[in-house]
Amino acid sequence: MKTSEDFQAAAEEKRIYDAGIEEGAKKLTPEKIRSVFNELMQTEGGARLEAYTKACVHCGLCSDACHHYLSNDRDPRFSPAGKVKQTIIEIVSRKGKVDADFMKRACEIAFTECNLCRRCMIYCPFGIDVAYLMLFVRRACHQLGVVPQYIQDTAHSHAATYNQMWVRDDEWIDTLQWQEDEARDEIPDLRIPIEKEGADIFYSVIGPEPKFRAQLIYQMAVIMHAAGVDWTMPASQGWDNSDMCMYTGDSEMTARLKKIHFEAALRLKTKRIVMGECGHAFRSVYDVGNRLLGWKMPPLQMIHAISFYSEIIEQGRLKIAEKFDRPVTFHDPCNIVRGRGLHETARYVINQVCTTFIELEPNREHNYCCGAGGGVINCGPPFKNKRVQSNRVKADQLAAAKKKGAEVVIAPCHNCHGGLEDIIRHYELGLELKFLGDILYECIQKE
Amino acid sequence: MHEIYQLASGILVWVALIVFVGGTAGRLIRMAITARKKDAVIYQYFSFYYALRSILHWIIPFGSMSMRARPAMTLVAFIFHICLIITPIFLAAHVILIAESWGIGWAYLPNAVADIMTILVILGCLFFLLRRIVQRDVRYLSTPGDFVLLLVVAAPFVTGIWTYHQWSGFEIAGIVHMLSGELMLICLPFTRLFHMALFPFTRGYAGSEAGGVRRARDW
Amino acid sequence: MNNSRAKNLWLLIIPALLFLAAAVCAQGYITKVEDSGFEKHTRPAVSFAHDAHNEAAGIESCNTCHHMYEDGKLQDQASIGMECSSCHLDGYSGRLELIRVYHLQCKSCHLDQKAGPVQCAQCHRKEE
Repeated sequence: MKTSEDFQAAAEEKRIYDAGIEEGAKKLTPEKIRSVFNELMQTEGGARLEAYTKACVHCGLCSDACHHYLSNDRDPRFSPAGKVKQTIIEIVSRKGKVDADFMKRACEIAFTECNLCRRCMIYCPFGIDVAYLMLFVRRACHQLGVVPQYIQDTAHSHAATYNQMWVRDDEWIDTLQWQEDEARDEIPDLRIPIEKEGADIFYSVIGPEPKFRAQLIYQMAVIMHAAGVDWTMPASQGWDNSDMCMYTGDSEMTARLKKIHFEAALRLKTKRIVMGECGHAFRSVYDVGNRLLGWKMPPLQMIHAISFYSEIIEQGRLKIAEKFDRPVTFHDPCNIVRGRGLHETARYVINQVCTTFIELEPNREHNYCCGAGGGVINCGPPFKNKRVQSNRVKADQLAAAKKKGAEVVIAPCHNCHGGLEDIIRHYELGLELKFLGDILYECIQKE
Repeated sequence: MHEIYQLASGILVWVALIVFVGGTAGRLIRMAITARKKDAVIYQYFSFYYALRSILHWIIPFGSMSMRARPAMTLVAFIFHICLIITPIFLAAHVILIAESWGIGWAYLPNAVADIMTILVILGCLFFLLRRIVQRDVRYLSTPGDFVLLLVVAAPFVTGIWTYHQWSGFEIAGIVHMLSGELMLICLPFTRLFHMALFPFTRGYAGSEAGGVRRARDW
Repeated sequence: MNNSRAKNLWLLIIPALLFLAAAVCAQGYITKVEDSGFEKHTRPAVSFAHDAHNEAAGIESCNTCHHMYEDGKLQDQASIGMECSSCHLDGYSGRLELIRVYHLQCKSCHLDQKAGPVQCAQCHRKEE
């Protein structure tokens, strides 16, 4: 059995170089860390921080909830409470008197060893929100300027362009028109209505869709057309509902991003917002941004693509021409299942569209995280190998479903897609990965 | 002996009770005020229905997936906590002492039952101690304070059963029993034992957000 | 002679204790505190050496313990021959009240005098 010193040594051997963390840490002084941290404690460190750090009795019941812990040979440092112990507990108990090396390690833990998936929260008898604590650490990292380079770049993009992928305003419109053009080869009267005032639905997507998954916009346009939906997308900023600032700890920027997104929908006088198949974006709009802006609930109705699909199928507006006949399994994304309880809705849609459905074990609220969410995949190539190794348990879970006959994995979330794609390739699982929209597009009556 | 007995059964009981009740209430009130200032969401999202729903799932044995995944731990934890709280409140000797002092009384447990429950608390402490030493993640998470607290909790039960059975030195054990019981009450608001008072709030809030906002189960 | 002193003696000179015990038993001086008000005992009944206790405690008047009240006033006459329960069992909670007054009778005096047993186990000794 390895002792924790061995793990310490092992961790140091393969320390990952990240320019954002290293260069940021060079500018730190103990005084700066202390003053930034104390100020953060003064302004934001409230009752939740106290309760979550003080209620924990170190029982370890959260350990088995974490895919990082399970995948890293049960190394206790990957246990949720272990990550709390190494970061926020240490900072709080030392009243911010920590050095730059400590912050580097804390940053790596908070940004790359926790996906903020909140699975541990439903395994902790006290309901301690470890994601909240890790986000508190990330907030401190943000204020100290120690953030992994790749995710900070997306945050910069958000700040400069109001979208995640440095997409220029004209490129956005070009992409929509290009996809409309393509789709009209298939369905001559299809439109992607831009800036249509008073439309029923305001459809928003994440930055990566126009950047490198433009076919998803095409598919959604086909689905909208087939269901006869009155919809629109904005021509200007506010079209991107994603939010990496939420994950870098930049709450001010998150508030601005969510505000412009809501404002775009309100400007077009649309009745409600439908969001593409993304989890973190849903969390940012439904659960985070609204709070930062002072709204208990979003100011206008806002639903995830899964709810939208289920609605138009239920209403008979979307007809299934032929059911998808390959056996599918379903990965429950944290942000729309533990985050919005859409697990049964998703299963309804799948059962309407697919012939054979095989459950992953565990599933629903208890599904294992994809390992990519919470901004972890956005920390980019330096952490990719670590991320994939740190989710071996997901590979085992998928392999078990494959054994039962599953051929296709449905993951209605971009982050999950990214994570599962890497896992399927690395562990040579030979499964195909699809969005729910991919399957709907294949199976619906288009005319 | 009479002086110590009088102190431990008199003024120190009051000190312990006042510190326990006052400290617990004070700390909870202070947190409630802090929450008003810095965690406004708590008041916005707190829902008694969903809080209760979550609390119920977590105070019923095996009511959550987490508990079903670890049956031994669940069984020990429930038995331990139930005995820990019930035994001192319904112990015959305690009820009688309270009747003598305050003229109020309530039903009490047969001695044999209280005896068994006390042994279960002590065995529970041993289980948790062993778990802290043997299970790797728990060992990593444990702090020296966690071990001290186990001792603080075990002490009144060990000395209690000792003086009850009149094993040698039972008079000293009786005095240590009173003092250690008071120490445990005094420690409660200021150490991790405070998890007792925090439980309905942390669990309730988790349940409120899970049920009211996230529409998901948190057990 | 109170119990803790008896214990010290016992620890110091066992033959002396054996002799004493034999002597008092033979003379029937040690009695149990029994009361028909107790249907069953929560703890073992208390052994009580009446004469030795009163001699050591310097109690001369019977109604120091065997008190008698009338209209809330302590009477001169004593309640010898009466069980405590004949007055004290009609209190608010029956048996608990009877236990309470027994304890008040013995323990509060012991505490006042700083002499004699006060802890549960000091009086309610297990049968040897």
